[in-house]
Order: sequence, then structure tokens, then C-alpha cells
Amino acid sequence: MSLDRKVAIVDLTTGKIDIKAIPLAVRKQFLGGRGLAAYLLYNYSKPGCDPLGPDNAVIFSAGILGGMLASASARTDVMTKNPLTGLLGSGNFGGFFAPELRYAGFDHIVVIGKAAKPVYIFVHDGEVEIKDAKNLWGKTVTEAQWAVREELGDPDVKCAVCGPAAEKLVRYANVMTGIKNANGRGGGGCTMGSKNLKMVAARGTMDIKIAHPHEALEFDKRFIEQITSAKVNQTMGVLGTPFIWGATNSWGGIRTNNFQFNQLLNADPIEPEEIDEWSKESMGSEYNMSACFGCQVHCRAKYKIPDTPLARKYGLVGKYDEGPEYTSQGAFNGEPGCTGLDTLLMGNHLVDQYGVDNLEIGSTISWAMELYEKGILTTKETDGLDLRFGNDDAVIAMIHHICKRDTWLGDVLAEGGIRASEKIGKDSFKLLIHMKGMQNLHSDERATPALALNLALASRGSDHLRSRPAIDLYHLPVDVMRRIYSSPVAYDGPLSSDHTEYIGKPWQVAWHENCYMAVDCLGICKYHTTFLGATLPNFEDWAKVLYYNVGLEMTPKDIWDVAERSNMVERLFNIREGMKKDDPFKGEILAERYFTEPCKRGAPDVIGKKIDKPKFLEMRALFYKYKGLDENGVPTPESLKKYGLENLDKEPLRI
Amino acid sequence: MADDKLSTAESLRSTRSYGQVRCMNPSCAGRITPAPGQTQAKCPKCGSEWRIFWINAGLPRVKGPVWETSQRLANERLDQIAAEAGKNEELAKKEVK
Repeated sequence: MSLDRKVAIVDLTTGKIDIKAIPLAVRKQFLGGRGLAAYLLYNYSKPGCDPLGPDNAVIFSAGILGGMLASASARTDVMTKNPLTGLLGSGNFGGFFAPELRYAGFDHIVVIGKAAKPVYIFVHDGEVEIKDAKNLWGKTVTEAQWAVREELGDPDVKCAVCGPAAEKLVRYANVMTGIKNANGRGGGGCTMGSKNLKMVAARGTMDIKIAHPHEALEFDKRFIEQITSAKVNQTMGVLGTPFIWGATNSWGGIRTNNFQFNQLLNADPIEPEEIDEWSKESMGSEYNMSACFGCQVHCRAKYKIPDTPLARKYGLVGKYDEGPEYTSQGAFNGEPGCTGLDTLLMGNHLVDQYGVDNLEIGSTISWAMELYEKGILTTKETDGLDLRFGNDDAVIAMIHHICKRDTWLGDVLAEGGIRASEKIGKDSFKLLIHMKGMQNLHSDERATPALALNLALASRGSDHLRSRPAIDLYHLPVDVMRRIYSSPVAYDGPLSSDHTEYIGKPWQVAWHENCYMAVDCLGICKYHTTFLGATLPNFEDWAKVLYYNVGLEMTPKDIWDVAERSNMVERLFNIREGMKKDDPFKGEILAERYFTEPCKRGAPDVIGKKIDKPKFLEMRALFYKYKGLDENGVPTPESLKKYGLENLDKEPLRI
Repeated sequence: MADDKLSTAESLRSTRSYGQVRCMNPSCAGRITPAPGQTQAKCPKCGSEWRIFWINAGLPRVKGPVWETSQRLANERLDQIAAEAGKNEELAKKEVK
């Protein structure tokens, strides 16, 4: 069956392993993936625990459709209390790990405690073992994966692994799988490092029975056609995700020089077409794109690092990698104001091998660059490094220093912006662009209030994958928007197809929050949903794919409720860990520069835009209302009851 | 479970436009129809100019701005905003008097 996958609770302190079934009632409430991860994290991490201590938990969680006949059913959520923010930490990667975990008989691995020495967890055909990782510790992300395959004598082992940055407890270290699939933005790698856990390795040969196989195959054809016929996915299949950065930089919707500007001028060398050309040339093939399990889009370019003076200096000429995603373009080009293609390809490669979040490290370096240009940091603190914007060499050097913690500044920045600002002092905190303690992604939302609202409200901190109504930018007719945003629950309030407007946006953000949570519970890719196009699947389509594959008969509204409930659990976790709506460190508020400094670059209609604070606060209040929260963003007793969460505190474990 | 009924997302496929790009000036978003193979196009509505890349023969996309035009239009808009701000300042001073 597809619903008989289990959860393993592994205590690294005692070595005890509990294997439990997942009750159907819990499944129906949370489905899988991120939803069930949130439920497990709430129950298995101790309130107020040190994120780097044994009382924190790290949850590896496959989506309920993982490895089945749904497009790109490849996603794994890793959830923990984030060492960077002290709030919810959650990341999501594709690749091949989730299907393998399910073929090995499990959906979720809960890790608590701390091992006395480096270990790894091996999951295979219904069994779980804790094994010695002495030979894996210190290895890079790919080295460790090849080493464990050799050790286990099986080249098909799939790994969720942390890299050297996690071993050094860089607070934004990732969990990785494959060459470049990153479970970023959640600090899960750092938590693994703190537990002396190098990886979870999975290998399975257990069947997953499809509930209605013939219908599932028939419907999947429709599902795939729907996904691959979308213009956005046809573009992605040629240019990969960099096309998003290219589009956004065209109109001035990215941030550069630590939010001082909003467009990287004359960025031709790193435009997606140039990356595509280099990918083809360096790989010697027109067929230069790769994909995750079961995906037809193929959004990742393969490449080798070019022979340039900078690449030679760092010994990276000819190194293979995949991507770079549009987040790396932001992190290593837009943010630090660099236009070198080699900088992008090297930066992307280094973060993949060290296992560190590209957005956080890029934003942190660009913040340090502004501090340097304003005299808050000097060459004394930078060990002589010239940290001016546009210095490609300095960006690459700082990636090494942060991941190795081998200079004063590298060590300080490895702690993340808020802790670093305490050590650096002066006005450094004022220049930190963060939400809930996490530095911003590389986009600039001053011309897009809906996207700005999403940033402030995202459960894991400043974020582009929690609720980003990106189709807002397509200027869809209002009647088309009405069709999308009135399903599966009725909505007859205002909507605006002008993305610079504030009206109607709180509902869009609320709707997308549930849409993206549902995708994460199912374990399919966000690029296959309304994230990037009105014609891509959402709740109505998922009800069918879920029924045919898993056999769960749920209406679109039922799936919506799962998402609503799961989002509420994430919010309850954050509130438990100290989130208050206006707190400058952990609150649901934008960095002040959003409200005070207007956009200076880009298309004519973007110039001068900034977020209107009173209107922003009105949007936030309306969002709270839509989500069944009180004026402080806390779920009301009625909402808790409606979603069966009133006893979440008193009933710590139902599994 | 009946699967013959099209979902909202599926039915919206009929509304797709091909061979066109949107002007990337956000509040304009006018439709531009570049001729096949054309590598630059000007928005008939707001005058912004864009470099065009063809994903395939029927699918153009905006590669990026024509930088010179983009910067000229941006500077004009900046000047306009500064002038408006100046006017408002003068108005405020008069009101104070």
C-alpha cells in the first residue's frame, strides 16, 4: 500500500530506534511532507530548546505522493528549530531521496538527541541502523555521498547529507542531496552537524502499490500535458530557473548592493541565455538539462566552471555542477553587484560542496560589503580583503572564510546577520535586510505589495516559497483571477490585477500560502503549480491525483483544510518559540528600508516605489482575519477547534 | 471519481496567448507581438524597449532591457519625481505661510 509507510524515531543519544505506523486519522489531517513534518516537529522538539542542543529535533519528511505517478513527486521537507532564527526551520529539496526513502518503507525519520561521535543513519527495506561516520566526516557533499555508496557497496543509495559548513556549525548550513539539490533556508544542516549526524542514507526495493493504477496512468498523462504545455515550463526547460531572475532584473525587481538598488545594470554576461550557451559549450552537448525524479520539465543546466584567472586562483577550473539556479544569480551577482559568469558558477559550486544556503551567504556578504563601504567594517576586520561591491574575488573569498570560519569576519558572519550585528555594532543592524532573523532573498518587493506581505508573514522568515503570488505580475484579467482565487473556497472580496496595488492582496497571499503548503504536503514541485502560471495544477487537480495514486478520497476543500491546519501548526510553533508580530527580530514586519527608501532603478513605473506602511499593516490585519487569527496573529480558540488543534499542547503524541 | 470535467487551471489553458510578450514595465504590461526572429521590440504603449529571445519558433521572451533606453526612461522618471517633490515642497511652504 502507499499509506503503510512508517515513521522512525531515532534517538542519537541512546541509540534507541522506534518504528511506528502513521494512523490514518493523522494522515488525513496532514497528508505528508511539510504538513506532517510540522506536526512531528511540534511534538518532538522541546519548547524553548537550544536549536543546537539535543532537545531539538530534525525531521526528514517525504510527501505523500513521493515516488508515485504524479509529476515530480520528488520532494523532501526537512524541518527543525532553525539555529539561525530560533523559529521554524524548514527546507525542501527535490532529487531522488524522497522516493528512495519511501521504497525503503518510510515516510518520515525523526532524529533527536546527539551522538557522541559522527554517525549516519542507514534506512533500507523496513530497517533503520545507526552507523559510524568516521570516514565521512569532513567530506564535501558529493564526496560523502560517493564514499557511503562505496562503503555500502550500492551505487543506488540516496542521501540527505550535510557538508563541511554544517560540521563547522554555520547557522545557515543546508541539508543536500545529489550534486546540487539543496534543502536551504531552514538550517537543517546545522542541526545535523550539532547532532554529529552526517547523513541519512536510504535504499529501498519495497513496492508502493498504486490505488487505482490504470486511472492513475490515464490521469497522469493529462497532468503531465497540463504541466509541460505551460509556456513557463517550456521556458524553464530551456533556460532553467535563471529565466526568472532575468525577467525580474529586466523590470527592476531584484535587489542589488544590499538593497540600495533594484536592478543589476548591464547584466548581459549572466543572463539566462548566456548561462545556457556556456552550459552547452562546456558539456559539449545540446542536451544540457537534468531533472529530479519523475519530472518532465528538466529545469537544471549542467555545466563546468570556465578557465578564467579567478577560477584558476581558486583551483576550480573545469569542476562540474548543476544549476545555477536564479537564487545563485541573486546571491553572487545581484546582491554583491558582480557581473562575472565565472563568479556565479564558482559561487554556486562552492555552496553546493560546502552545503550552505546560497541566499543567506550571498545576502550576508553583500550586507558586509555595505558595512565596509560605509566604514563600519575596515580592512582590520576583513583581514585586508577589499569588500567593495563588484569585487568578484572578495565574494569567492568570503564564501570560503564563512564556511571554514577561518577569519574573524568569516566566523562572525557564519553566525548570521543578527548575531553578527551584535558583534560588529555601530549601525550595522539598521542595514540588515531580514525578516524573522533570516536575510532577504535577492528580490525587491517595494513595487509588489503582495510579495512584500508574503515575505513578512512567511513561517520560516523572509521567503519566496511560502506564499508568493507571482502570477500577480502577469496582469491577468480580474475574471480569471476570480476563478483561481475563488476555488476551492468562495471569495467575493476585491481583487486587483495591478501588482502595485494593495487591494485584494491579503486574500491572494492567504490563498497561495495554502496552495504552497498543499504542494509541500503532497511532495510535488512548486514549479508545477499556480506558483508560476494560472494554467498549472492546483487543488482540483490534486484531489484527483491523490485519489488515483493513494486512494484517499478528498475534496479540493479537504486538501485546502489540510494546508490551513498545517500552516496553523507552523504558526503555533513560532508563537511557542517567541514570535511576536512587531518584534524587530522575530516579528512579521518588513525591514524599515522597505518603507523609507524608494526604488531608484528599473522600468519607469518602478522608479520611486516603496511600501506604504499603514497600507501594509492593513493588509497584514486582513490576512490575519482571513486565516482565523486574532489581531496579534495568534490562532483564535474557534480556529483551533475548527482544525482539531485545540489539544496540540496537551496531546503531544498521537502517533 | 469522475475525471472528465476540466479543472479551473486546465480550462484556463484556452486563454493563453502565443507569440506575444508582455511589456516588462510593470504598470504597463502591454502586449508586444515581435515579428518571428525579431531580437528587439518596443512597447507601443509606454515606449520601453526590450531585447527578445526565442525559446522556440512560437515562444518569445524578454531577454532584458535595451539598457540605454531603460536608463534614459528611468532617469526621466526620476527627474519627474524630483520635480513633483519640489512642487509639493513649494506648495507645503505656501500652506505654512
